[in-house]
Amino acid sequence: MTDLTVLDEKATWEASVERLWAVRPSRWRDAWYELSRNKLALGGSVIVVFFTLVAIFGPALAPYDYAKQVLSDDLLPPLSGGHLLGTDELGRDLLSRLLLGIRISMAVGLGTTFIALVIGTVAGMLAGYYRGWVDRVLNGFVELVWGFPLILIAVLLIGVIGPGLVGVVVAVGFVNWAGFARIVRGEVFALREKEFVVAARALGKSDLNIMVRHLLPNVVGSALVMGSYYIAIAIIAEAGLSFIGMGAQPPLPSLGQMINEGSGYMLLNHWLSTIPGMVIVLLVLGLNVLGDGLRDVLDPRLKGTG
Amino acid sequence: MASYLARRTGYMLIILLISSVVIFYALRSAPGGPSGGGVLSPLSSQEVRQAYEKRLGLDQPVYTQYFIYMGHLLKGDLGTSLVNGTPIVELLTTHARNSLVLGLTALLISYLIAIPLGVLAAVKRNTWVDQLAMGGAILGMGIPNFWLALILVYFFSLRLGWLPSAGCCDPPQLLMPALVLAAEGTAVTMRMTRSSMLEHLRDDFVRALRAKGLPEWQVIIRHVLRNALIPVISLTGLRLGWLVGYALIVETIFRWPGVGYLLVDSVLRRDYPVAQFFSLLLIFFVLMANWFADIGYGLANPRIRVA
Amino acid sequence: MSRSEVALEVKGLRTTLFLREGSVDVVRGVSFQVKDGETLALVGESGCGKSLTALSVIRLLPDPPARVTAGQVLLAGADIRAMPEQEMRSLRGDTISMVFQEPLTSLDPVFTIGDQIVEAITAHRKLSRRDARDMAVDILKEVQIPSPEQRLADYPHQLSGGMRQRVMIAMALVLDPKVLIADEPTTALDVTIQAQILDLIRSEQERRRLAVLLITHNLAVVSQVADRVAVMYAGEIVEEAAASEIFANPTHPYTQGLLSSIPSAAGDRKHLYTIPGRVPDPRALPPACLFAPRCPYALGRCWKQHPELEAANGHSLRCWNPQPFTALRSIEPGEVDRSIATSE
Repeated sequence: MTDLTVLDEKATWEASVERLWAVRPSRWRDAWYELSRNKLALGGSVIVVFFTLVAIFGPALAPYDYAKQVLSDDLLPPLSGGHLLGTDELGRDLLSRLLLGIRISMAVGLGTTFIALVIGTVAGMLAGYYRGWVDRVLNGFVELVWGFPLILIAVLLIGVIGPGLVGVVVAVGFVNWAGFARIVRGEVFALREKEFVVAARALGKSDLNIMVRHLLPNVVGSALVMGSYYIAIAIIAEAGLSFIGMGAQPPLPSLGQMINEGSGYMLLNHWLSTIPGMVIVLLVLGLNVLGDGLRDVLDPRLKGTG
Repeated sequence: MASYLARRTGYMLIILLISSVVIFYALRSAPGGPSGGGVLSPLSSQEVRQAYEKRLGLDQPVYTQYFIYMGHLLKGDLGTSLVNGTPIVELLTTHARNSLVLGLTALLISYLIAIPLGVLAAVKRNTWVDQLAMGGAILGMGIPNFWLALILVYFFSLRLGWLPSAGCCDPPQLLMPALVLAAEGTAVTMRMTRSSMLEHLRDDFVRALRAKGLPEWQVIIRHVLRNALIPVISLTGLRLGWLVGYALIVETIFRWPGVGYLLVDSVLRRDYPVAQFFSLLLIFFVLMANWFADIGYGLANPRIRVA
Repeated sequence: MSRSEVALEVKGLRTTLFLREGSVDVVRGVSFQVKDGETLALVGESGCGKSLTALSVIRLLPDPPARVTAGQVLLAGADIRAMPEQEMRSLRGDTISMVFQEPLTSLDPVFTIGDQIVEAITAHRKLSRRDARDMAVDILKEVQIPSPEQRLADYPHQLSGGMRQRVMIAMALVLDPKVLIADEPTTALDVTIQAQILDLIRSEQERRRLAVLLITHNLAVVSQVADRVAVMYAGEIVEEAAASEIFANPTHPYTQGLLSSIPSAAGDRKHLYTIPGRVPDPRALPPACLFAPRCPYALGRCWKQHPELEAANGHSLRCWNPQPFTALRSIEPGEVDRSIATSE
């Protein structure tokens, strides 16, 4: 007779536990913190998406030809009739130049990073997976390039092939792939011993299959996080080199090039430099914040390496 | 540790050797050559050109030129500038000193800001102090140094007239380039100091130290910071590398007569001997910086030093 | 017993975790005394609040999120909860010391053993480095570390696990404290080393008339060193008695379960007991006996009313339905219904 009451009481006990569990807030102790981080990441991705759209469609929507000089309309301030952001010293429409400049910066940033990402991931994966002499050769090369001043290499390269965006892209890609290779190699080194990889090998899957199907998905997160930082680095490097006259050549408007051209008019017409400067700051800020957010979400182990 | 050092040193020498060959060949394969790039008038006749090249030994095969050059270099003969005939030794003493002054000042400013702020942000985690420092850091990472230079010049030179916008080598002229150069790595160093501090604040030994009754500042500064600095030290090697790179831009903007300014100038003018020597010098410097950072990392970390 | 003999007394201690989703009491109304020269073992599964009790006593709770919210901790009669931090700090390492579970991670890897012992001394005594060094050598000798002068220059990673724990004990004892808290001091060590460390703690205790609060989940450790035992479950003490009494006459079903789950050389290994179920979540505690869902003897009342700790003849117990001890054995899946039916 007591069994039933015991069972009944037990059910009540469990029900009360269930109830208490149901009302308990999220298990995430740092939920709020995570959320605020992710809000930042959200903000970052909004900025990045915005600039990507501008880079794709902006030049087509530009009100004027970026190179068209109207010398009588030179140095108009922003919000002048017909010129939203004003004109430069040669009477070229600043907005039209800015739109193309954003496309060039984004193209250089994304292009170099994509090249670096592909080369670096392949090299890092080969080194981490095969180890031995493959690793020694590849890693020796990575260590050589990694930590080398990008600007120095760019300046030397440009000294050889002449000023222009080609030198910038090659130099940035040449240095940055090593960053991806390092990260990917380290991860593959660790992953290689994990059960699922060992099991896949035991099942006789090919090395290529294991790398593509099992290792790649696991390293892609860290590579993406690194990627958003590296796009920012590439954009800053391009702008800096263009600023000292080694990147994009006139009349092509890269953001750094525009800042350089405007720098002579700082006192009276500072917007020629400050507007493209703020665009770079905003773009790089968006990329870095996005990188931080992605890192927290995708790969907590990388925390603090930025 | 000894074998590690030997390996590092050998490795460094090999890279230096490869770099010297690559740079030597690359500069000579450039279109135009020295006689095309501003040294001689484009209108110079073929004979003048040939005589000029013969005098400089440019008519010989590149590898011969390389060995001759390296021979001279090892004897201490650094050559002269093609543009104005200044002996490179002379350029070296003045420009290298200027660059060192600028670089060390920048590094000092940077660490004096980054490390205390990083420690403070970690200790006061999730308070407004932390958020302000980290917000500043992420903003700092987004501002390109050349633009920061422009803004500083705009305010402090053009508007307020407090500081000269360019030149060398008084303290007021040093201040802005040093600040701009410092800005580059400060944010990264601060973030790294903070995250490394946070990591070590969670270590078991922190509680054990408190259980010994040590004052809190001693736990934080003597123990946690000491541990947290190990990765920051190894970052320094990398930072010195970046510093060399950014010095090219900053020196050019502020017309600071350092090695970077000289190198950019000589590359644009195809002044081979100058470009060649100073790029090798900078590469040597970067390698040395990494070498020292490696040793510093080992010395700071007893688990490596006393294995 | 005279009051001065009590080195450490805890009364009605409540420790609370303040989390984003609200506060949780993880130690509830814990009281105990440790006298000079006595070892009290605080025993329980991980997560039962025993380590947080220890950290509350030495006031080293990670704050946030943990804080003591009620009760008193009397160290030689003085309430440490009321002390300013400065005064508490001067007691830590001097009057009350602590030894931790992981000797490797509890030592700062970048300082030598010597530096770390000297630092513990100079934090409390105005001594020259040379004198402090001499004290360090003496204490290392006392905890039987061979060639102590040379060891002073060693870094933690150069010592073995057992040696490191000896160093930790030396550091804790160098200023001759009255109370030593040992939080799982042997858990991270090899079995052969464990006995040596326990011997060392025992002999130091006798020499110095130390009051030792030993935190452990391991009853074998308890049997070697403890004078009294307090068993904790879900943040409360459920049974407390002299060690001999606990081993001879365990009364709380949880204590019985713990004892039944120790493999003994002669015992029935095939039916080694495991206590079914898990520790209840402290965020959702019902007004009932917290052990009821895991208890083989739970009655109707056990599900409805929370039992109080009641003492008789120096044996305290928190249970509605105490049973004489017969070694429990694991219930086979098919037996569940029968075991409930026969439980009354």
